[in-house]
Amino acid sequence: MARHFDHMFKLLIIGDSGVGKSSLLIRFSDDTFSGSYITTIGVDFKIRTVEINGLRVKLQIWDTAGQERFRTITSTYYRGTHGVIIVYDVTNGDSFANVRRWLEEIQNNCDVVNKVLVGNKNDDPDRKVVITEDAQRFARQMDIELFETSAKDNLNVEDMFLSITRQVLDHKLRTASDEQQKDRIIIKQNKNKGKSNKCCS
Amino acid sequence: MERGSNYPNGGDASAAAVPVKTTLSIVQERFKADETVHLIFEAYQIKGQEHIEGLLALVSSASGGTYAIISFSLLRNPLTASNDLKINKVFPINASFKLTTDSKAPKTEQFDLCTDDDRPTKYYYYSMRTDPAAVDFNEFCAKVNSCKKTMWDAELPSEAALNFRWLDDYREIGEVKHELKKRESEYIIYKDIIVYCATWNVNNKPCWDNKNTLRPWLASGKKAPDIYAIGLQELENTARAMLNGNQMQMFATQWVRKMLENLHDDMEYEELQSVRLSGIMLTIFVRKNLRQHIVRCRVNSVARGVFNTLGNKGGVAVSFQLNEASICFVNSHLAAHMGNVAERNDDYKAIDDYMRFEENGLQVRTINDHDHIFWLGDLNYRIQEPNGQQRPGPMSDAQTFELMLQYDQLRTEMSYERCFKGYTEGEIKFAPTYKYDVGTDTYDTGEKQRAPAYCDRVLWKGKLIEQLEYNGVMEIRESDHKPVYAIFRVKIKTRDDDKYRKVLAEVLKAVDKRENDSQPQITTDRLNIEFGVVRFNEPAIRDFNVSNDCPQNVDFEFKVKDSHNDICEKWLHVDPRGDSLMIDSARSIRVRALVDANSVTGLLKMICTAVDKCVLDILILHVRSGRDIFITVTGEYQPSCFGLSMETLCRTERPIGEYTLDEVKQLMLDVTPGYRVPMPREYFLLIDYLHNQRGQLFQSYDRRQPLSSQFNAVRDWLDSWSNDPFPGTPQTAAEALLLLLDLPEQALLEPFVDDLLASRSKVDAERYIDLLSDPKRNVFKHLCLFLCDGVERGDYDANNVATIFGRILLRSSKCNVTIDYHSRCNEFMQRFIRIESPDTLSGGNGHGGASLQT
Repeated sequence: MARHFDHMFKLLIIGDSGVGKSSLLIRFSDDTFSGSYITTIGVDFKIRTVEINGLRVKLQIWDTAGQERFRTITSTYYRGTHGVIIVYDVTNGDSFANVRRWLEEIQNNCDVVNKVLVGNKNDDPDRKVVITEDAQRFARQMDIELFETSAKDNLNVEDMFLSITRQVLDHKLRTASDEQQKDRIIIKQNKNKGKSNKCCS
Repeated sequence: MERGSNYPNGGDASAAAVPVKTTLSIVQERFKADETVHLIFEAYQIKGQEHIEGLLALVSSASGGTYAIISFSLLRNPLTASNDLKINKVFPINASFKLTTDSKAPKTEQFDLCTDDDRPTKYYYYSMRTDPAAVDFNEFCAKVNSCKKTMWDAELPSEAALNFRWLDDYREIGEVKHELKKRESEYIIYKDIIVYCATWNVNNKPCWDNKNTLRPWLASGKKAPDIYAIGLQELENTARAMLNGNQMQMFATQWVRKMLENLHDDMEYEELQSVRLSGIMLTIFVRKNLRQHIVRCRVNSVARGVFNTLGNKGGVAVSFQLNEASICFVNSHLAAHMGNVAERNDDYKAIDDYMRFEENGLQVRTINDHDHIFWLGDLNYRIQEPNGQQRPGPMSDAQTFELMLQYDQLRTEMSYERCFKGYTEGEIKFAPTYKYDVGTDTYDTGEKQRAPAYCDRVLWKGKLIEQLEYNGVMEIRESDHKPVYAIFRVKIKTRDDDKYRKVLAEVLKAVDKRENDSQPQITTDRLNIEFGVVRFNEPAIRDFNVSNDCPQNVDFEFKVKDSHNDICEKWLHVDPRGDSLMIDSARSIRVRALVDANSVTGLLKMICTAVDKCVLDILILHVRSGRDIFITVTGEYQPSCFGLSMETLCRTERPIGEYTLDEVKQLMLDVTPGYRVPMPREYFLLIDYLHNQRGQLFQSYDRRQPLSSQFNAVRDWLDSWSNDPFPGTPQTAAEALLLLLDLPEQALLEPFVDDLLASRSKVDAERYIDLLSDPKRNVFKHLCLFLCDGVERGDYDANNVATIFGRILLRSSKCNVTIDYHSRCNEFMQRFIRIESPDTLSGGNGHGGASLQT
């Protein structure tokens, strides 16, 4: 019987308030964009299923409130997350400066390493203040992949989500095969033990 | 027109002026063309306190030939479109299906449905129907039970084996599959392939090595075939060979090699699979570059003949999938002799019934589960002419064959549907294939003079099959049978991968969207609960509403936060903590704020560390299977002396009531020893008043008890350093004193509580007392004098006050105190409040002694 999906991953979108986290999610899940700003007061999620290398991956993507006062609470949602999307606004230097803090949040609250850095609102060159080179340098330094997106113009959004999904999937497949390898080694060791015990007796 | 403005969708079923769909027709829309909704029954379920409106539909499938009950929940009531129906369970009406009512309580209007190993599902119904399209319970039971009795509907065409596979599309797991199937036309294309079927009863003749060719039999037709299915019967099956498996296999291998050499020249072939049952063998050859498109290749055989086990009669079959089409080839050798028509039919039926191909651990496929079926072999049906035997010459014309075929047993049996139901055979324009004198084209001249017959046949079943040729081959004379072949053009269902990927992406998106859209949602009329000024011991209440405006019932609850193991801080109380909301319903949530003896310390601590001093708490309103909403509770705490440490109170230069919260925060965070007064003024005011009161004032103390009615007046009197007379009773003053001493986070005698409890004598203890901060030490010494005085006067019972004050001043922060903790507290206090010789008292004299007189 056909299964709905082969893998299910939880992704988390974090970043300062107003950088466009919800817009990115809605663009990816519903392919729509609303110009009016409704601040997220809580934690919302959407699902979307994608095919990657013939594997069906169901994503549950959590969109968190970016406001400072909610930071302690939102940090509890990091648990069980496979991948994190850190968003800043290319027209807002502070939101880029705060990326470091968000990275710390990740470090303190979850053990996943899969993350991607996203500079959103990349649709008006006149208003852009975080230049690509600076962001790229920072991303490289932090060993994160950078995407400059626009939820409004639907630029790079799909690619960005697929990239983090691929990263999570690769990570999972790699660790799964590592686990198997480990099991094999353990079995081998056990076998040896059994033999040596016999010799001793 | 009455086109109801209240019902823009025409959803009101009773509005007869508007042509509306009946519920039955809406339900029918959820099913495929060959599936029929026979009846609907209104039933609801109860989950927790939730009441789930639903519909049960009795549905049959023509392709599966079976019935099932599909249980829907209604996302909107009344229904307006089939999208308002959500399938929540599927009950195939199979052997294990049960509809049971509680025989002990027949009037409770409930029943259970159950199939397979699943636990029964309970349903309830109303005594009155609300929808005219629905049936009542008696009718529902009667119809369901009659379906259960027959298990299938005799009226339904049951050409396929009865199955419930059609239900997979309605189980949750099949949603994507179902959508893909619906849009099949968008990505399915049909590719022509040539299938070459051939059959020959070789009459136990060995495979000869000479250059005698099989080409007239296997390489006819202009176009090179893509697939060959070649059936042989009576492969060397002498007793000797049959006892020797290896020899038998050797013959088979020789035949396969020989056949492969004689296939069409224009193409290269490889053997896909051979299957042999004794002398019956079926070999599939495929074009070499077609091989990679073939999956799930399986073989099996059904033995008949002697005791139905020997396998001198029976059938063998190969099943596989080519692209998206499933194909099955059967080669059979049925019972021989003119009179054995019934036996041949039985053999056919047994092969048809028992041939199974394993799909995976759980499922099997039968012959009839394939898109394209080819059945060939020595079927052994004879020509049964009413008046004697006619023998056509070997070169007879088509007319003669047609005359003979009128009496062909196979055609007769097929016309009565006694065998090969649903199969087709092409026109026969060749001579009977049996029985010839070996090496000739002459009919049996032997003793038995068997009548000529069309024993060797090729039949097919399934769509998109076109026969191109059907022939016997006269020039191959090694057997008493002539070989037969048939060529077909088959349109094979094939997936266009690019188009498929596109459709799949769209389907996944649509299914996801449906899931996202059906996420339960609630709205709150407030995201911020504002309490304004919050004062010590003054409860305040705020209400807000949560409402369900999505088309389904929703459960919500406030989430327990890890940080404090509860849904909210101690100074708040939320009621209810969770509930279920039916569609279009709302309910009020009450938040109560009370900073009291039990919570003030925690609040002050939070204020000291919080970024935003006005946020009293953030509640997490969690919608089950949905989002979380953060509700911020704000309010400005009006500081009071209660809960503040003696040190903090000694830093104030004006009444605490005149300080802002920020200023108090600064005072609390101040750690310098610069105190403005030796003892807190608030403490002193209380002692001063109490000193002049007579009687037992300290009888018991429990900080969890509600405070007396005059307490708040005393609070204001203290917080304003009032010159007015004390506004309460002596008991209230005693209560206030105990709270003032008890509420600070640290006990008065910290950080030396453990040392003091361990001390053996007053002198021993005083070494630690001297190390306390000035405010604490002064308060302690002064308090002892005050109590001592009361005891001396005979107002206070020494043992009693030692117990009460001992527990407060030596309050242990440890969770588990030692067994003798309470007696030690008492002992310690007694040392300080017992009347002693005057010189001992004066020895510990400080500021306190003098203050009592002021």
